[in-house]
Amino acid sequence: MLTVALQQGINGIVFGSLYVLVALGLTLIYGVLVQINFAHADIVTIGAFAAYFFTFVFGGNYLVSIGIALMVGAALGWVVNAAIFAPLRERGSELLPLIATIGVSILLQNAMLLWFGPIPYAFDSPYSNEVIRLWGGTFITWQNLIIIVVSALTIALLYAFMKFTMMGKALRAVAQDRETAGLMGINPNQLVMLTFVIASALAGMGGAMLGPILVLTPFAGTSVIVKAFAIVIIGGFGNVEGTIIAGLAVGLIESFATQLINPGLTDIVVFTLLLLMLAFRPTGLIAEKREENV
Amino acid sequence: MRRHSAILCIGVLASFVFAAAKPGVAQDKVIKIGGLFAMSGPGSYFGVQDKQGIELAIEQVNKAGINGYRLEVQYEDSACSPLPATQAAKRLLEQYKPQLALGEECSDATLAIMPVMEQAKVPLLNAGSSSIKITDPGNPWTFRIMPNEVMQGVDIASNAYKRLNARTAVLLYENTNAGIGNAKVFADTFKSLGGEILGDIGFGRDVNDFTAIATRIAGLGKVDVIPTYTLEGQGLRITQALAQAGVTKGGGGQSIQLGTIWLPFGFEQKAGKAALGYIRIVQFDPTDKREVVQSFIRSFKAKYNQEPTHINAHAYDQVLVVADVIRRGGKDSQSIRDIMATTKDFSGVTGSVEFDKTNQNVKMDTIHYMETLPDLSWKALGWN
Repeated sequence: MLTVALQQGINGIVFGSLYVLVALGLTLIYGVLVQINFAHADIVTIGAFAAYFFTFVFGGNYLVSIGIALMVGAALGWVVNAAIFAPLRERGSELLPLIATIGVSILLQNAMLLWFGPIPYAFDSPYSNEVIRLWGGTFITWQNLIIIVVSALTIALLYAFMKFTMMGKALRAVAQDRETAGLMGINPNQLVMLTFVIASALAGMGGAMLGPILVLTPFAGTSVIVKAFAIVIIGGFGNVEGTIIAGLAVGLIESFATQLINPGLTDIVVFTLLLLMLAFRPTGLIAEKREENV
Repeated sequence: MRRHSAILCIGVLASFVFAAAKPGVAQDKVIKIGGLFAMSGPGSYFGVQDKQGIELAIEQVNKAGINGYRLEVQYEDSACSPLPATQAAKRLLEQYKPQLALGEECSDATLAIMPVMEQAKVPLLNAGSSSIKITDPGNPWTFRIMPNEVMQGVDIASNAYKRLNARTAVLLYENTNAGIGNAKVFADTFKSLGGEILGDIGFGRDVNDFTAIATRIAGLGKVDVIPTYTLEGQGLRITQALAQAGVTKGGGGQSIQLGTIWLPFGFEQKAGKAALGYIRIVQFDPTDKREVVQSFIRSFKAKYNQEPTHINAHAYDQVLVVADVIRRGGKDSQSIRDIMATTKDFSGVTGSVEFDKTNQNVKMDTIHYMETLPDLSWKALGWN
């Protein structure tokens, strides 16, 4: 029983790490713009396809493909923000960019359906089936180890960027109060663009690591994004630390719910937690400080 | 010269008028077929492959025509889901007015379409849904050439117990009408024979990570067989997770995974070594030596430059069944329904067709058992 518990713990941390990567992008955008980005899931999928084609069509190294997916995600984030979201934000409406994210999502899904077709791709990284046997009969695949290490490094780098660099501090300032930050000489539009680029890069990278785990079709990212939204809310609407804790917690809860009850009920457990959080602690695990402009 | 031109024009016009007035010109009579398949969403891989099989069959049938008729098809996206399927069926009936319809693949969607077709008195020929509810108690306007969940479940459970000497099983299935129904039939049959169900694990189509499920199964002790009811994508991940956890033969364990008719040809190549020892039933066996099968494979490869799957094959068979009905005198919805109900000794790519009173194909030669070998090729077990 201890072996099973340890194994489920490992499984939970692996999937929790992926949830964190995907949810961090959402939380960054929400933190800065107070906007939900429905197209985030599709950037995850495009990241997965970028890694797949780099590895299997162009014969590239899978580890390098994670970096390629990151760059593809970043480029896509830049293009979509510059071409669609930024012009709509300039019109002063909060609703238009939100609706536009739904439009971009449908556009990207159908473009992928056209290019890549609906049949599931067999995306196995060279590390997917290589198993490392651990103590007491537990195991981890090299792929899952890569997920944990890359996610931990990325989270640490992002955390350091946000806490210790001038640009990171400026970004947090924009998140707290965009107008005042502008008066301090910070260009909010540039930082909004940077937010989209970082968030989309994280999504692309998450896609490259999710690809060998999930069922790779043009709709692959959709299955993860609902959980990611829940994690953003549980973590504390735009709070990075809260998102990390919530992501790992959801991964672990899912694993142990699968073991103890039924996999069909894991969503009920996660979303019950979400409802309880909204009812008793609506600010999330860690409340994000935000100035109210009156 | 001018006089010659005038005579020529009159001649050409007269020939058009004569051709139009001549009764029974082959290209004038059309049987309209509605195609209700998923063209979008996660189930769209069904629609793409169904369309390939249908287009190939129609192309072949229309070369010679049947009793002066040619076949024509129009598709609507039924999205593998009840609500869009119902809307697509209504749209098809109102705008295209087909004499019959083909589809859907997903049981939930087929069940939703059935009453719409019954009300319009348009026959529906299904080839990919397994839920027993489709033909039990039966609907006079719905026909199914695929073996239903009871036919599949009873057969696979009996073979697991008697031929594989399995005594313990864990059920893995998606939480849909078809998934739950198939698993239940297996469990009932297996238990009635003396077997024991150690785990009953259902999951949604949105589940991505099966390592937690595989870990749970690994902790259940000795499991002889794991009947699995999922679509291709999740099926791949389950097979790999079970091997990684050391449960199945593909991962050095002892359990044998049992698969369904839902998985396509080529699944083994995608799943890799994890699929070693996997026994599953398939609707289409490309190693079948019958000319109808080999001819289909040759034509399919020539048209699409790829290997056909069971979905291509059963879609192709649907059109051949329709062609057979037209050949025997079907010309409108009512006569097509009546003649289709009398179908006997039809031999298609997937097997034979003979409908019982509930319009269910009773022929079991559409169930082919396969085992995955170490080189990831198939070995036909010849259990039916």
